[in-house]
Amino acid sequence: MDLRANIARQLTGAIALAAAAAAFPAAAAEHTITMKGVNYQPSVIDAKVGDTLKFVNDDGTDHNVFVPTKGFGADLGMQKSGAATELKLVRLGTFEVECVVHPHMLLKVNVSK
Amino acid sequence: MMKISSRPECTRLVAFAVASLASLHAYAGPERIAYPTEYQTTFVNYNQIERPDRKPPQIRFMYATRDAVAAARANAPTPEGAILIMEDRAVKLSADGQPERDANGRFIASDKVLNVFVQQKGRGWGEAYPPEKRNGDWEYAWFNADGSRRENAKFDGCFACHQSRAGRDFTFTFIKWVNDGKP
Repeated sequence: MDLRANIARQLTGAIALAAAAAAFPAAAAEHTITMKGVNYQPSVIDAKVGDTLKFVNDDGTDHNVFVPTKGFGADLGMQKSGAATELKLVRLGTFEVECVVHPHMLLKVNVSK
Repeated sequence: MMKISSRPECTRLVAFAVASLASLHAYAGPERIAYPTEYQTTFVNYNQIERPDRKPPQIRFMYATRDAVAAARANAPTPEGAILIMEDRAVKLSADGQPERDANGRFIASDKVLNVFVQQKGRGWGEAYPPEKRNGDWEYAWFNADGSRRENAKFDGCFACHQSRAGRDFTFTFIKWVNDGKP
């Protein structure tokens, strides 16, 4: 009887946890992108609406975070070596990030629900 | 074949060439570009770029003349006389000073225009500049909201930055927008 009661309690707890997980979506994530060697690293990010991209200039020269894609357009300005900037992801879709100074620096961001 | 028969004639020719080059340089610059009135209603507003780093935040409206759009979509060179505009606007701010956002999470622009930057292409305009500075045949100008020229504006930064996008006809957003196939 005790064993049955124990299993029932554990099941109830598991169901409650699952219900709680379903009710509250996963916490927003932060994705860090570095710039060392005049490259965005990683070069592709799969993220969700509400996540944040954190750009860390760990390179020895100035860089920039510029989004030319229509519907996502943003320019975070010049970023000195050692500085960090953030971009909050507010809508679904795919966009590209470029460095204004170094055109070969490219990042693709896929944003899903 | 033309022969230069005497030293005075040769000297005159050289002087003429020098004067011509000098005049080209004299006319290079933002004065080549007139303020494009009615651009807000006659040009294509093809993109908006948020500037969250500005204090207070701004949004840039990007415009292009219709002939520039038609040519780019036909994969043809941007025609002479084509004009691209980058218009800085203030954004609407909430009571706590944060930018108001639309249903897509984008900044909402106010009607307050802060700057009007113009990039225009003219026949042979680039010849006035050395290769290390030249942006094809594009020239730049900076206007205030009322159409007056911005005092003491410098344009070396325009040339230097746009040169990095020579592969897109010296534009950051225009050719990119066409290539992306966005409406």
